[in-house]
Amino acid sequence: MTRLLTDDGVGAAEGLACDEALAQRVGRGASPPTLRLYTYRAHCALVGRFQDVAHEVELERCAREHVGVNRRPTGGGAILMGPDQLGVALVVAGAERRRPRELMERLSRGLLRGLAELGVAASFRGKNDLAVGGRKLAGLGVYRDPSGALLFHASVLVDLDVALMARVLRMPFPAVGERELAVLAGRTVTVRRLVGAGVALDDVRAAVRRGFGADAEPTSLTAAERGDVAALVRDKYATREWVFQRTDVPDTAGAAELCTPEGRLDVRVALAGGTIKAAHLRGDFFASESAVADLEGRLRWHSSDPGAIAATVRAWSRGDGALAPEPLARAIAAAVERAREPSDPYGCFATPEASRA
Amino acid sequence: MPPHVPRDRRYDADQHLWARHDAGTGRVRVGVDALGLESLGELAYVALHDLGTTVRRGEPIGSLEAAKMTSTIVAPVSGELVARNDAVLRDPLRVNGDPYGDGWLVEIAATRWEEEAAELLADDAIEPWVAAEVERLART
Repeated sequence: MTRLLTDDGVGAAEGLACDEALAQRVGRGASPPTLRLYTYRAHCALVGRFQDVAHEVELERCAREHVGVNRRPTGGGAILMGPDQLGVALVVAGAERRRPRELMERLSRGLLRGLAELGVAASFRGKNDLAVGGRKLAGLGVYRDPSGALLFHASVLVDLDVALMARVLRMPFPAVGERELAVLAGRTVTVRRLVGAGVALDDVRAAVRRGFGADAEPTSLTAAERGDVAALVRDKYATREWVFQRTDVPDTAGAAELCTPEGRLDVRVALAGGTIKAAHLRGDFFASESAVADLEGRLRWHSSDPGAIAATVRAWSRGDGALAPEPLARAIAAAVERAREPSDPYGCFATPEASRA
Repeated sequence: MPPHVPRDRRYDADQHLWARHDAGTGRVRVGVDALGLESLGELAYVALHDLGTTVRRGEPIGSLEAAKMTSTIVAPVSGELVARNDAVLRDPLRVNGDPYGDGWLVEIAATRWEEEAAELLADDAIEPWVAAEVERLART
């Protein structure tokens, strides 16, 4: 069985240090495989392992609104965590090497089972999300410890304060209006929106616990584990060297426009070096906003290679009457090309319409 | 077609790193092998420890991210980091594009090459390992 840990209201440094300490200890056989289901204090902005904090987070607003800022050991983009986002940390001992997508798909099965128990029919999308109807419900990430132990992270949106997210995570527009907030809200979905406002976070936690088949009763960290967590807080997660470290990979952004007989399509992309970290599409001829959200999600943390973009767009289009995939893929590739030219970077947990920026 | 795994160097089978020893300088150049890259996909980020860092075999010398999975890069041999390929820090796709050439990661002035080389795969041991890894990747 997998040990269960639960805690709530944890600080950013403490929450992340605990997960890494568990990975280290499970890897060397000092702690059992563990499922930790927890929430952060209101609120914490957590960037991906290699992201530039200043490009992803509105640091002054975070300070004003007492939003903690830190860096995850796992990859991916910036997220906002708080009392209504369930943090999932599954730590398992060394496993044979698999492709990241396969690992994440395998490690997220328990989460999918738990969500299904609540009546939420989520599915694995692209290489990095759980989605419902094309809208993101949970972000995923994995960290492989030197021992080979795996730390699987998921952030499940039980609910989401979209306005707060738009204030503290950097967006590619100078002001957030009702329209931008609506677009942001349309790119995500929450458990409460799907199941009902009465669902408590503890209900979601219990279902996810059962989905993973973890122990029914939570235990506490041992004294040795608490010592390891405290050391990691002190030596790593509470240090400026960790939180504000910089990467040499440039963040860039680019846009392209596609005119078709059906209408006009605006495409914006944000790159981290050669990787698409976010894409935003806007056009009035798509079948549904969820189709747009789905394609944007598939393109997140995606190769910027034109062939790979074309393959993903083809797989997404499924011949359902949306825009023909070839010109759409070419427009995205054109935006990527423009992003390779020097420009101002911006962060992208979600990228609403930005043509007025 | 199986990934290219040249026989002019040794391999850390668990970590999917190659190590090429220069007998003249005692330096060991290190990179990610094609099988490891086949498994990881395109690298989004690479970080490497500072020059002058002393490491033992199995200790971290950096980290990388591919498809939202981060991994620690561990030293295949003990010694001091004496060179670092800063070009891959700016453009990690160089590793995917030329893993055995321009995509190298670090050079280590090895202090225990004779003993530790025996723990790395070489020569006739390479092909069976490659075949087994290709089969495993095909299964997953």
